[in-house]
Amino acid sequence: MTKHLQPASVAYILGLLCAAGGMLVFGDGYAWRIAALVGLYAAASIGFQLIFGRLGLLMLAQGALFGLGAYATAMITAHLGLDPWFGVAGAIGLGAMVALAIAGPVARLESHYVALATLALAQLVLLTATHGGEWTGGSNGLYGIPPLSFAGIVIVEGPALALVSWCGVLLSLVVAAAVTGGSARARHATIREAPLVAAALGIDAARARLILFPVAGALAALAGALQAHGLGVVSPAVLRFDVMITVLAIAVIGGRGSPWGAVAAACLLVPLPEVFRELESYSLGASGAVLLGVLVACPGGVDGLIRRALPDRTDTLPPVQPLRFGTETLLAEHLGKSFGGNRALADLSLCLEPGSITGLIGPNGSGKTTALNLISGIVGADTGHLRIGDRDLSGLLPVRRAQAGLARGFQHSVFPSELTVLQAVSAGATLGQGRAALDLVGLTARHDVPVGSLGAGETRLLDLARAVATQPSVLLLDEPAAGLTASERARLSGVLETLRRAGLAILIVEHRMDFLMAISDRVVCLVAGETAASGTPDQVRADPRVRAAYLGREAAT
Amino acid sequence: MIRSLGATVCAGLIALLVTIPTIPVSAADPVRMDVLVPITGFLALEGTAQRNGAVLALDTPPEGVTVTYDVADTATSPEVAVTALRRSLDRGNPVAIAAPIFGTQMLAMAPIAGRAGVPLLTVSGTAKITRLGLDIVFRFFPGDDVVKVAQARYAVEELGAKRPAILYQTTAYGQSGHGHLVETLAELGVAPVLEEAIDPGIKDMAPALERAKAAGADLLLLQLHSGPTALTVRQAHERGLDLPIVAGSAMHQPTTAALLDPEQLEGVCAETASSPISDHRPAAKAFTKAYRDRFGAEPDAFALGQYDGMRMALAAVADGAQTADQVRDWLAGHSFEGVAMTYLSDGTGNMAHDALIVCYDGESRVPVITKRYEDVDGVLATAGAPSK
Amino acid sequence: MIETALHLLPSTLALGASYALVALGFVLVINAVGAVNFAHGELVMLGGVIAVGIASVLPDGLAAPGLIVLPGVLLASAAAGLGLAALAYLPLRRAPPVNIFISTIAVGLIIQHGVTAGVGPEPRLGPPLAPGLDQSTMVIMVAGVAIAAVHLLLSRSQFGRMLRAAAQDPDMARAIGVPVGLTIAASFALAGALAGTAGLLLSNQYFVTPSDGANLMLKAYIAVVIGGWGRIWGAAAGAVLIAVFETLIAVWLSYAVAEAALYLAVFAILAFRPQGLFGDTEGRRA
Repeated sequence: MTKHLQPASVAYILGLLCAAGGMLVFGDGYAWRIAALVGLYAAASIGFQLIFGRLGLLMLAQGALFGLGAYATAMITAHLGLDPWFGVAGAIGLGAMVALAIAGPVARLESHYVALATLALAQLVLLTATHGGEWTGGSNGLYGIPPLSFAGIVIVEGPALALVSWCGVLLSLVVAAAVTGGSARARHATIREAPLVAAALGIDAARARLILFPVAGALAALAGALQAHGLGVVSPAVLRFDVMITVLAIAVIGGRGSPWGAVAAACLLVPLPEVFRELESYSLGASGAVLLGVLVACPGGVDGLIRRALPDRTDTLPPVQPLRFGTETLLAEHLGKSFGGNRALADLSLCLEPGSITGLIGPNGSGKTTALNLISGIVGADTGHLRIGDRDLSGLLPVRRAQAGLARGFQHSVFPSELTVLQAVSAGATLGQGRAALDLVGLTARHDVPVGSLGAGETRLLDLARAVATQPSVLLLDEPAAGLTASERARLSGVLETLRRAGLAILIVEHRMDFLMAISDRVVCLVAGETAASGTPDQVRADPRVRAAYLGREAAT
Repeated sequence: MIRSLGATVCAGLIALLVTIPTIPVSAADPVRMDVLVPITGFLALEGTAQRNGAVLALDTPPEGVTVTYDVADTATSPEVAVTALRRSLDRGNPVAIAAPIFGTQMLAMAPIAGRAGVPLLTVSGTAKITRLGLDIVFRFFPGDDVVKVAQARYAVEELGAKRPAILYQTTAYGQSGHGHLVETLAELGVAPVLEEAIDPGIKDMAPALERAKAAGADLLLLQLHSGPTALTVRQAHERGLDLPIVAGSAMHQPTTAALLDPEQLEGVCAETASSPISDHRPAAKAFTKAYRDRFGAEPDAFALGQYDGMRMALAAVADGAQTADQVRDWLAGHSFEGVAMTYLSDGTGNMAHDALIVCYDGESRVPVITKRYEDVDGVLATAGAPSK
Repeated sequence: MIETALHLLPSTLALGASYALVALGFVLVINAVGAVNFAHGELVMLGGVIAVGIASVLPDGLAAPGLIVLPGVLLASAAAGLGLAALAYLPLRRAPPVNIFISTIAVGLIIQHGVTAGVGPEPRLGPPLAPGLDQSTMVIMVAGVAIAAVHLLLSRSQFGRMLRAAAQDPDMARAIGVPVGLTIAASFALAGALAGTAGLLLSNQYFVTPSDGANLMLKAYIAVVIGGWGRIWGAAAGAVLIAVFETLIAVWLSYAVAEAALYLAVFAILAFRPQGLFGDTEGRRA
């Protein structure tokens, strides 16, 4: 949790202060209205960045949530006669609730389907408003919505309206920082770029959605409500796709996921049609051309541009927080799985005790990866039971299993490229624990480089460290030695030995026999989904079925 | 290279934004009248007619009057319209503004113009805009409470409709007109057998026509925009649906008739405030010729209404009104002999009180003026003889 | 009721065929580059406007004005498709797909407002393919032929294989000798030509207005999703389903209820068959 401001943030704040100063000196009513408008779109877009930028979901109902906020406050003030501030509060509550209701169902869908489902929802809201009769005012909408007032000042236009709007921006920035700052950044990036990894690290994607969706909805509705009071009318125009396009363009041009970028992009895009006003009916087309130009010229968005010029200060190394592993036994009994009639795994029973390393071997297609997937819960088992200590894990989601003390490394691991090594390794843990895990695998010196600049072997070690940092009882590794050089393999052996001594129960799938046989306490060999042999490395090596399965390959080792 | 180009573009735009406030304010003399109308989006057709009518009037001001103007697009949302108004008020100091046909935009703009005391001259039919208690809204097109009365009365009294079906658009234009049609029909003792709301995106009108047939309709009342009106007329003709059609003002627009063959139009009637291309009075012919020469297009009643409105504002200036307040008071207190009709405020800014029914004879795409409903709301009669 | 439905069936099929033609070019670009081309609706509109433009300089009384303008429309629309690729896709091919989503929206804005300002906002009537023949029947026939041709092209031809290879892994495709740039350019040109054909047919059947694009885009998007992402026949079936809602359900319950029912049906399909009505069950990416 770094409290100091990054150089880019300082640049943004200075830029805004300059703009505000310019407005105070030169601004007329027109300029102030545009400033207010920029603020509203900035606030709604900051909210959108949480879902689109952070969680990576193309949620196309943000525009509808903006409109919903406008309608909510209009109805509360016009129909119920309540104070506008109640209307704004009601709008925020409604926006949050609707977004929360979207969060669950949408999570099951692939990206293009998320886009369409939310788009259809937005169309449905538009349809309701258009056909709402007296209640919504139909296509003409509702008019005569009272303006906000504060301490006797009626906020209807000019600097007051812009001030309220920009207070909304400030609030949005603070809220966005609160829900995405610190360790949440690495968690959200992992959920977005590598959902399976996130689950295996015990990062609860559903929980992240349940926080970010309502916040995004609330911010959109807040912006919409402020717009309704600033304009005095609300009509289906606020629900049309144009609002969504503006918000989406701001998010992309600003730089995906960046709240400050959204503010900068709103300053750039919202006034564009005004800049081209002289072109009359060509003005919107000209805005489109500039949008295209900016998109092509800076693909990383405004934020990418600014951060290239003013790179973030990297985290200083946090103090080590010693890793304390659980000491519980994993017991798998009679696990089995078939895919469309083909038996991938039958009746696998394993006991992984604290402070032991078990090797899982077998020819290609013998069911090793299926076994790992069944234990970690990525694939549901047809038969069998699984427990850690006295806790039954059968039927639990991967994320719950991870939280119960099961960690997993991946053969083809994915790291969000925007993170540094330290941030990436701490995705499922604290920075102190991440530091301890880096110490363990010997990557501490590389803590502040972008994760993409690591070599292949270092990336494998980082994957191991990321799993270890979650302080599991049981660690599952999928081909950890694949692609490592001899010296890296030696380092890996040392790390595994340390972990065994620290009390971890470790299961390793590997086909480098020399490596595996040297470090394993027990070895299980699968052949065509069946457990062909199980025992000490020497016993398994001597087993005739194992020798038959590996004949001509590595049987002689 | 591309990155630095991007940076330059971004920086340039920010600079542009910062310099918006420093664009110099133009002088108050000669008078200024801005044209703020929707020239893009789904009302672009009507808005362009407004723009053309206004520009034609402003380019040929009366002797002794010099006028400057800007045209700005209000697109499809109240937000854009209010921003355009703010710009006009703050940077232009106008004495009158040609304001959007789109009722929702008028509802948002009127309070702001009211505070500034600048009259808004529009052709919007939305009844509410003159009922806000603001003295700056002036409507140079009969409101829905005039033209819809004419449409319903023509259908019931002249064509003998007893079981009309109403097809209306789910837009402000359609919904407002639908409400007034139902109201007038009730006063005439007729209940519609079908009221079908149609989204402007709907491509096929056959279901609506089948529903009207199934409901036993004896006449179709349309309140649709240009394209959908033409589509309905064409599909009714193709499906052999032999019902008389009395359409809304969109049907009188020459662009609508251009989509149809004359024989498809036979027997179709429409309400409107005027029909410049069918009007043989010299002033109307002169207007139509000037419009065709200038824009290469056929004028409609929206263009003529806006033209007459701007000409009345210019007449106010010629008569000595120099400020927005003076123009407003002049518009409120005088009658004006326009090309389409005589305009006089009813006290709330409704300037137009006549409606026409035009019908197509099946030979030509130019409709014939079939019936005039003059002074529908009785304002002119109450005020006595119009003064020139 | 059934009689009315039978009476409306030609309308339903013609509308479904029109939407299917619109969806066809859209789904082709999805197959070629895996990106959503949000300017596709505007390309269809542009095709209609081009058809009207060419037809307006032809002498009156021709036997088949639509067929005469078709080559011109195809050429101009293919060029528009290429222009779209050059402006909105090629500079961004390494960027995330959502950037292409936005860049095509930007090009769509340019097309829509360029047409509004350039030739005027009014609706226009396009030329009939052949005045003697029923336009609905022609629309259905042309759509059927086009869908079958595109399906065969993608599933049976060398071009289809190259297209899929280029979409899945451009670098690998290049390594095995697929001319990736050319393949993508060809698919955009073809998508443009299909959009132009759709525009020509729709402009006579339903007129063409510069603001038509967004609505057509939404219909194509829904059709492609309910048909199963990227599937040619699925998209066509989705398009017909939308037409069923807009005609048969509408005549039964009214347009407004039918529209709401369509969106609810989309939710239901996504809830019970997230892979679309005609899609495969595919595993989620890791």
